[in-house]
Amino acid sequence: MATWALAWRLMRRELRGGVRGFRVFLACLALGVAALATVGTVSAELLAGLDRDARALLGGEVELRLFNRPPEATEQAWLAANASRLSQTAELRAMARADAGERRLVELKAVDDAYPLHGLLTMEPPLSLTAALGLRDGVYGVVVEADLLPRLGLALGDHITLGEGSFQIRATLVHEPDRAARAFTLGPRALIALEALPSTGLVGPGSLVYRQLRLDLPAGESYAAWKARLDAAFPEAGWRVRGLDEAAPGLSRFVERVRLFMTLVGLTALLVGGVGVANAVRAHLEGRRNTIATLKCLGAAGGLITRIYLLQVLVLAALGTAIGLAVGALAPSLLAPLLAERLNLTLGGAPAPLPLLVAGTLGLATALLFALSPLARAQRLPAAGLFRGHLETRRRRAPGWLWPALALLGGGIALLVVLGSDDRLFALGFLAAAVVVLLAFRLAAAGLIWLARRLPRPRRTSWRLALGNLHRPGAPTASVVVSLGLGLTVLAAVALIQANLDRQVSEEIPANAPTFYFLDIQNDQAAAYDALVGGFAGVTEATRVPMLRGRISAVNGQRPEDMSLPPEVAWVFQSDRGLTWAKALPEGTTLSAGQWWPADYSGPPLVSLDKAVGDALGLRLGDTLTVNVYGRDVTAAIASFRPIEWADLKINFVMIFSPGLLEAAPASHLATVRVDAAHEAALERAVTDAFPNVSAIRVRDALASFGEMLGAVAGAIGGTGGVTVLAGLLVLAGAVAAGERRRRYDAVVLKVLGATRRLLIGSLLLEFALLGLATALLAAILGSLAAALVLEAVMNTPFFLLAPPLVWTLAAGLLVTTLFGLAGTWRALGGKAAPLLRNE
Amino acid sequence: MIELSGVELTLPSLAGPVAILRGIDLTVGAGESVALVGPSGSGKTSLLMILAGLEQATGGKVRVAGVDFAGRGEDALATLRRDSIGIVFQDFHLVPTMTAQENVAVPLELAGRRDAFARAAEALESVGLGHRLTHYPGQLSGGEQQRTALARALVAQPKLLLADEPTGNLDGATGEQVIELLFRLAGEGGQTLLLITHDPALAARCARRLQMADGRIVQDERAAA
Repeated sequence: MATWALAWRLMRRELRGGVRGFRVFLACLALGVAALATVGTVSAELLAGLDRDARALLGGEVELRLFNRPPEATEQAWLAANASRLSQTAELRAMARADAGERRLVELKAVDDAYPLHGLLTMEPPLSLTAALGLRDGVYGVVVEADLLPRLGLALGDHITLGEGSFQIRATLVHEPDRAARAFTLGPRALIALEALPSTGLVGPGSLVYRQLRLDLPAGESYAAWKARLDAAFPEAGWRVRGLDEAAPGLSRFVERVRLFMTLVGLTALLVGGVGVANAVRAHLEGRRNTIATLKCLGAAGGLITRIYLLQVLVLAALGTAIGLAVGALAPSLLAPLLAERLNLTLGGAPAPLPLLVAGTLGLATALLFALSPLARAQRLPAAGLFRGHLETRRRRAPGWLWPALALLGGGIALLVVLGSDDRLFALGFLAAAVVVLLAFRLAAAGLIWLARRLPRPRRTSWRLALGNLHRPGAPTASVVVSLGLGLTVLAAVALIQANLDRQVSEEIPANAPTFYFLDIQNDQAAAYDALVGGFAGVTEATRVPMLRGRISAVNGQRPEDMSLPPEVAWVFQSDRGLTWAKALPEGTTLSAGQWWPADYSGPPLVSLDKAVGDALGLRLGDTLTVNVYGRDVTAAIASFRPIEWADLKINFVMIFSPGLLEAAPASHLATVRVDAAHEAALERAVTDAFPNVSAIRVRDALASFGEMLGAVAGAIGGTGGVTVLAGLLVLAGAVAAGERRRRYDAVVLKVLGATRRLLIGSLLLEFALLGLATALLAAILGSLAAALVLEAVMNTPFFLLAPPLVWTLAAGLLVTTLFGLAGTWRALGGKAAPLLRNE
Repeated sequence: MIELSGVELTLPSLAGPVAILRGIDLTVGAGESVALVGPSGSGKTSLLMILAGLEQATGGKVRVAGVDFAGRGEDALATLRRDSIGIVFQDFHLVPTMTAQENVAVPLELAGRRDAFARAAEALESVGLGHRLTHYPGQLSGGEQQRTALARALVAQPKLLLADEPTGNLDGATGEQVIELLFRLAGEGGQTLLLITHDPALAARCARRLQMADGRIVQDERAAA
């Protein structure tokens, strides 16, 4: 204890030298911690917001969702008797048409008088729900999102047609409390009264209509107890019941996913900053060699020396970490106004302490991890050199505690990150990859130094000087390659992933992709629809299949809730899925196993399943799937597996059933049409005029909406990737600055010997260009590998090696290294010879 | 105070092992003052470093202040320096971020002495720097820096004082003052003094003069009493 106190006292004296040499140290640490803390506090605030707004988002304390059927009278009565408040809504897609002929797909929502049970519905002008939606002069009202009006060329007070019903636009929608932020929507919202829904004629057998019953629990009853009573009363209802903990499952999952990814990228920034930390500590201790040796001559033990500088590193690390934490603590309130509106959440609480604690711990641990090795070297610094006027550079063995301490710290950091993440395997994989990439760059740096030393001596002086500078003792080669390399790798990977996703949604629309999807064609409209589309000019391909919706309720008799579902197929079980039945094998489909049923098959139900789902669940031919369709369980044996290429955007179903049982169920039809551009608008008009209940989705619009969402996510991730590069630049700047004195001296000596400024600039340019090029090349290779891994293995989409993002990465690496290198050494060139020579 | 027998120091080099010290036998009694003279490369500094426990002899026996160096670790030798050996360097080697008083107090602080600062102040007073306690090395002249270093070397009342060209970086008059002080203080404290010098006048002030050449002591003269 006494030693620590003495170390503390001596450390404080050491700090009088100022923190000038530690600016890069502080900046690196503050940056990494700020990135981590911001991701942590902002995502915690989002999740807290979801929690706070759960009632409003869910629309009640419990939501029951029914597909395609209204609640039966007994169900309605039971719910009315067992809820303190009850509200009913319905959601579907519909075409909104202006009298002038403009049309647009809208997300239609029909609400009852009790809506909303929680939160506020606001519109412009402010009207009561009854005034906005009720019957006036024989016409119901509709409230629409403002951006629908210009698209249809309409204004408040005008009329629009939804299905077969005419509605007067009475207000624009400002805030819809239960609209969980959906990243992907096909059209603006339109709100009508539930009692007006029948007049639209949009609800037919098999129509894609969701009905929601929202309610508040009876006073004093828990959700679990209430749900148990509900299940006992209606075991076969087939509704999906959600409590407050699942108010916005999609958004929570999304936030958690993005948090994981951005945390890991932030951690990379911290790791890159760690290189800067190590450099700063090494340079600092280098400058303190005399002091350390003097203390040793005066009788200080090696352990005391380590303690003095360990305390110093800790104090400075605490300062850097505190700066980063301050940014992280302020971030939620700064970003709240921006995010609250986009995500429909009430935000702006105090910053969550846990993410700050984690970010702070990671910051301190990383600083320590990277500082330990130089500290250990200080402990072993021989003091004898003080007598000789210079200190010897003989390598000494690292003290015994170094490796265990490094392992403990590294392991602790990994454990903290992995345990704190929602997808531990992914986090572990990411960390392992980061370490491999770090090692790869370290090796590459060693290789570069080796090569520069072994290359035959070039004839041009500038080349000779540049190559020499790469391998001389004290050259920044290793730290530049490692720090900038990791940042550029992240940048290259993010750019490639982004470019691949962009390509998929824009350029990559397959040539034979359909132009339209038409939804909700009724059985009795099918023949007329076929006739219309079949004879329409410009149509080159048209398909139509019956579609029902159902939920997988059991696999081999086991309920999905009781199974551990691999994450890549969890989506199949998360909500209702579209199903179809077919007599013949659909065109363009192949089977990977099993056989297709005969066209006149009439035996027990069979199903053909997506091969990827079957593989993930380990299913075999003959296994059974039970699907709940309209409240009825249908069990079918797996007769075949089909590989599905979702990217071709054609109609694909995870499950295709044999004809028979499902043939009789009420179904609507889903159709795709490929039509040349000249006839697109005419076809849309013709179909929706002839069949007002049918919704038309333009594939291009849907993809554009999808692309926008991806763009926002990619932007956020790219931003975090940018932080990594920034950290790399800081390290680069620090490394260059650390070598400035040596370069000045070199430059002066070379000038004295007759070197021109031009020659010196040329050699510096070459040196840094070579460094940047080597680093960027390796970053491009490793970044491509990482992108391929993420796209192919994690996102299940094909990877294309696209040139532009790689060229950008290379160019950025080259440019930045050269510019920073030159900027850092410019002063060296202007240095006057005389004072330096006199001093030296 | 010092007992060396057959001390050798051989260091590896790219061109093969280099013998720096080749069998040094030396005994120095308590309170003696010894000058170590000889051309550059004769092994003076290496011998001093071995005596300070900063370099390990590759052969022979080393015993300083009653402590046998054989088998002693780095930290044990650091403790020995703290308690029994004071060192004065040609380049002073004061810690630039510490005041004169703090620099002088370090050996006592390392030994856990509570009165470190009071005694450091006394030591500085004794070298005529009582008015410079709060000055940093950068604010002191060369002579003042060396006097501070001298105060630091003697503050823990070591048994042995080693000095490596203590006036090498000082002008003649300042060097003279420092030497006066060094001999006076060492004499008052009864310290054994061993100093390296190229200055014949300084060497002549010591009771004993060892001439080194090529890693050996080639002459051992005692001044007439």
